[in-house]
Amino acid sequence: MANLANLYDVSKCTACRGCQVACKDWNQLPAVIEPFKGNYQTHEDTNGDTFTIINFFEYEDPVDGVRWNFIKRQCMHCLDPECMKVCPRQAYTKTSWGATLHDPDKCIGCQYCAAACPFDIPKYRKREDVITKCTMCADRVEEGLTPACARTCPSGALTFGDRDELLQKAEARAKFLRANGFPRATIYGRVELGGLNNLYVLTDTPDMFGLPVNPKVSGNITFWQDWIQPYFGWLIPLMLTASATSFVTSRILASKHGEHGEHGEGGHE
Amino acid sequence: MKVTRRQFLKVTGATAASFAVLDLGFDMQATAKAIKDLRIKNVTPTPTVCPYCASGCGLVVYSERDAAGKFVKLLSVHGDPDNPINQGGACAKGAAMFNLREIYDEKGEQVINPKRVQKPMYRAPGSDKWEEKDWDWMLTRIAEKIKETRDGSFIHKEKIADGSEIIVNRTEKIASVGGSGLDNEEAYVLSKIMRSLGVVYLETQARI
Amino acid sequence: MSPAFGRGVMTNHIVDLKNTDCALIMGSNAAENHPITMKWLFKAKEARGAKLIHVDPRFTRTSARADLYAPLRSGTDIAFLGGMVKYIIDNELYHKDYVVNFTNAAYLIKDEFEFKDGLFSGYDAEARKYDVKSWDYKTDDAGMALTDPTLQDPRCVFQLMKKHYERYDIDTVCKITGTPKDKYLAVLDTFCATGAPNKVGTIMYAMGITQHTVGSQNVKSFSNVQLLLGNMGRPGGGINALRGENNVQGATDMALLFHIIPGYIDSPMNSVAHKDLISFIRAVTPGAGKLPFTNLEEFRELVKAGFPNSGWKIHSSKWVVSLLKAWWGKAASKENDFGYHYLPKRDEKKNYSHIAMFEAMYKGEIDGLFINGSNPVVGGPNANKELEAMTKLKWMVSIDLWLNESADFWTHQAWERAVDNPNVAKISPENIGTEVFFLPAAAVYEKEGTAAQTGRWVQYRWKGAEPVGESKSDLWIYNELVKKVKKVYEGSKRPEDEPIVNMTWDVENEHGHDDPIKVANELCGYSTVDGKPVEGFAKLMDDGSTACGCWVYCGATTLKDGKFIYKPQLRDNKDNSKTGMGLYSNWGWAWPVNRRIVYNRCSVQPDGVTAWPGDEDRMLVRWDPLALADPKKPESLGSWVGDDVPDFIKTVGPSNPAFTKPFIMRPEGHGCLFAAKTSMKEGPFPEHYEPWESPTLNTLNSQVLNPATKVWEPEKQSKSEQYPIIGTTYRVVEHWQTGALTRNLPWLAELMPNMFVELSEELAREKGIKNGQNVIISNTRGDVEAVACVTKRFKPFQINGKTVHEIGLLWQYGFKGFATGDTANWLTPHVGDANTMIPEYKAWLCDIRRA
Repeated sequence: MANLANLYDVSKCTACRGCQVACKDWNQLPAVIEPFKGNYQTHEDTNGDTFTIINFFEYEDPVDGVRWNFIKRQCMHCLDPECMKVCPRQAYTKTSWGATLHDPDKCIGCQYCAAACPFDIPKYRKREDVITKCTMCADRVEEGLTPACARTCPSGALTFGDRDELLQKAEARAKFLRANGFPRATIYGRVELGGLNNLYVLTDTPDMFGLPVNPKVSGNITFWQDWIQPYFGWLIPLMLTASATSFVTSRILASKHGEHGEHGEGGHE
Repeated sequence: MKVTRRQFLKVTGATAASFAVLDLGFDMQATAKAIKDLRIKNVTPTPTVCPYCASGCGLVVYSERDAAGKFVKLLSVHGDPDNPINQGGACAKGAAMFNLREIYDEKGEQVINPKRVQKPMYRAPGSDKWEEKDWDWMLTRIAEKIKETRDGSFIHKEKIADGSEIIVNRTEKIASVGGSGLDNEEAYVLSKIMRSLGVVYLETQARI
Repeated sequence: MSPAFGRGVMTNHIVDLKNTDCALIMGSNAAENHPITMKWLFKAKEARGAKLIHVDPRFTRTSARADLYAPLRSGTDIAFLGGMVKYIIDNELYHKDYVVNFTNAAYLIKDEFEFKDGLFSGYDAEARKYDVKSWDYKTDDAGMALTDPTLQDPRCVFQLMKKHYERYDIDTVCKITGTPKDKYLAVLDTFCATGAPNKVGTIMYAMGITQHTVGSQNVKSFSNVQLLLGNMGRPGGGINALRGENNVQGATDMALLFHIIPGYIDSPMNSVAHKDLISFIRAVTPGAGKLPFTNLEEFRELVKAGFPNSGWKIHSSKWVVSLLKAWWGKAASKENDFGYHYLPKRDEKKNYSHIAMFEAMYKGEIDGLFINGSNPVVGGPNANKELEAMTKLKWMVSIDLWLNESADFWTHQAWERAVDNPNVAKISPENIGTEVFFLPAAAVYEKEGTAAQTGRWVQYRWKGAEPVGESKSDLWIYNELVKKVKKVYEGSKRPEDEPIVNMTWDVENEHGHDDPIKVANELCGYSTVDGKPVEGFAKLMDDGSTACGCWVYCGATTLKDGKFIYKPQLRDNKDNSKTGMGLYSNWGWAWPVNRRIVYNRCSVQPDGVTAWPGDEDRMLVRWDPLALADPKKPESLGSWVGDDVPDFIKTVGPSNPAFTKPFIMRPEGHGCLFAAKTSMKEGPFPEHYEPWESPTLNTLNSQVLNPATKVWEPEKQSKSEQYPIIGTTYRVVEHWQTGALTRNLPWLAELMPNMFVELSEELAREKGIKNGQNVIISNTRGDVEAVACVTKRFKPFQINGKTVHEIGLLWQYGFKGFATGDTANWLTPHVGDANTMIPEYKAWLCDIRRA
């Protein structure tokens, strides 16, 4: 089956954030109200009850004047997802059409995936002790509907469809933008990390949107997936029998996550 | 039995593209388990129009109903794909329409929006609290207030510039504001009621 | 707009934006406040290479998507647009055929008319009013205006206009508006290119234009630009007032406004001109003033023969009598002037608009107040004063979904302020004697009925869920309340109670439930003879044989195979236009008579047959000499045909002298560059005046404030010495109006959780303010605490060589809901537009400091 993808064209996004709310409506997520911090962006990052957010970036240069860049962030549904490789419980699966799914019933809340993700996407939901993230609305797609975000986008910035076709469309659009006032316009997600199922048409270089220019899997993650993960599967049942062990494990992982947040490759802002 | 696409995938175990996942031993059975059932399946949506800005985007309301067709709860509110203005789109406000009636609380439970008022409320002069009252009591008392104020302030006739006296039928002691959020039929009857009462301080949000 | 074209409505519609070649968005933040418009503008960009221009004091989410952004200081739109008029005339960019044939450019103006140093002829400084006698056309003996189609006569409108705007050169304009000259020139070049006959440009505006002491003249400036460029009445063109509330168009149509009765007819006053029905009809029918008639029969004969300078409003008597029949049924008869005396006559010397209402309330002159889904404690100007005014009420009824700030005005919370200010009242509940009734209303999808969107499309909203708890639809509430009111007046024989006792009340269906369809029947019109729907307003009568609550909605109901059809329920979403213009004429229903683009006569050349050169695909209607106007009548040869409903009398063809008059709601029939007679309070041409509170004097003339504006509280004027910063207010996409309907929704509270103020990095440095810090904004009317949003998107202006800062506050917050904050309207003044009394929310003075 062909890969299905979301194409997000920043030049058509008005940051109305319909996608953010439609995502909550469809995925039945509560609001997470945090105080206003001097920026239109709601949260600094996605969280256990917020699968997608719009990031805002203000720039000014002598040629372009003021630019206000918006970009939608959510799981990229990588063709070759790191989260899936590191998960000790095999909670991650890939649908035949490309969505990376996470099964909360299998999840033990260890957050390895969160540390491994180059885009910092999987988030911990404390009240259920599980990881959550964007599902590409697989329940909708499997019944022939588009994901809630693409469905609601009023201005036409989001399109859901066949990845190859969308790539062609994206190329054409980037070319048009380069000729019409955005000489640095480019596309993102075609080759990054072996390809993403969330494709972007950008009006500027990826760093101007807080995207990692050349996303990589961090060194210790490679170590993890090559050496520890293969043996971890049989370690888990042992750990679960002793709650103290699981407490220690989660603490170790928590500190690792913190370190990633400060120095990780996938940091934003 | 009609086989849905999803069942189709399950039955055939549809061969996934050949990337690493297969090497790691995942199968479609596992995928299927992680996918929830489509909760609006077989639900007929009800079309409405967004109550916010005046663009007039269509919305559709999906509700759960019991076997007798009685409303149980909301499922989702989307943009109306048939409406030519928005063709299914909805901005943050339109997309949040579910919250107008119901919300997911901190635990993720679906409950009625706690800010919605479910009973008529009355505040007595000088009081520092609301009290619940029934509709009949409230409407009866409001009608009495209207009569008291109207009759006490009514200007029936007035002398005009040419020296003649004409009927002017107005009260300047009752005022009405708002109404731009009403349906046309409601706005129309409001206009008619207020004019019949003689109200001239009549304003809607068109001016503010 | 009404003084220019005859109607005050959005001329085109949302989908039509895709047909434009250039959109000037000015005084509107369309991407945030009308997000769906961007969908259609992006289509225009892709399909036609359209350009998007945004003119606004601050760089917004709309600017982010525009091809061209130009800043301007709040309150200087007339200077900006006056310069555009000069640029169009100087460079001969106007659409000549259009201007000569479709506007009053060629009309000659009386010799007494003049303009000197900011004042037009006839000014009375004492009364702050004009005597408008001289603002009129030179006429022949028959009362027809004299014209010069060569546009050369120095007294013709075109030449007078040219002379008027001579002073608005580019450098002067930029000194006033603070717009960088290169940006201003780029806007002029880009937008004025739509003067070419094959190009059409649209203007989109909202409250950024109207909420000024010169709001109406701002809009009039748009009219002048669009008439000169030939952009009215054509797909992709027009002046599109983006309305803010989902049914503010409908509420206006239904006349929930003091100055009109349903259908845009002046509301009667206690004046000689309105003393009885015949006088009233004389007064509201253009051109009828001096005609000889003393009763309706004589008047009918005159209408049948036709008389000059009347336009379509020649039919006003039919609208008035049908309205009276709808409201008072059998009690409205020929013998009693159809119950005309039942209508309240307002005092001709008084103003009853929002500001006036709250000033009167403040003085204790009002006892009872109904608030129908509104929130003046947050949304009213000078809201501290309006809050205090409400404490003087004896009773108040609030109908809403939530206990909003206005319902809760008597609570302790309502009076809490970050700064103790002796000028701001603090009243505790025990000292507030108001009896408050809160009636819980159903949400939009818990009831049904229609709403008229900004482009006049009337769409039906079906019921998708049950009301929560005991909440009820507004129609149920009004129905039950009227039944109670009728009961307390039951049996009264007092003549003053007749309007209530005799008011028709037929809103319940055969099951005894209130039913919007029942109301629709009365609203849209029925025959009092056989009860059948009236098929269109041309069929309304002034003899009592028809009843119609609002003539512009007439035609929205019909019988099909004996079944009652309410056209707003139609859901055929195929585009009926052959060239893909997106008319969707079978989706819902648009007033008037399902016309999607008004003044559409202009979409074809004056000959009525030929498309504008190079613009064959955007012709809405055309004259077909071989078509039958009425298929049943072979003698009715010759008719207007096309994809849209012609905004013109169907059978008036090229041989008729009325033929080139496309603006049928104007007495002249032509688009008015010069607003004659009583059209505008402050003059026939827009002239730049400064806001009431301004940091500078007027560069163009020695009048600072609009000479026709009423000043309510001279002592509350904030002066620039003490308050040097311009303040303005606006909304964000995530919240709506006063926020009652969004701050109570967790998902939206999450997106914009607190009140904030936007300011430039330069001002922040000057004041030592850091992003995210709390600040206080103050002026003579109050103090507001907000979070600072320090941004590159606001820049200081250079005004007459001086640096002037402007800051922007969200006006959508209050103390209730999931998202709370101080109310920006504590700072806005009680001063308004001279014509509409819309308050000046958008430009006032203040100062800002760290909290």
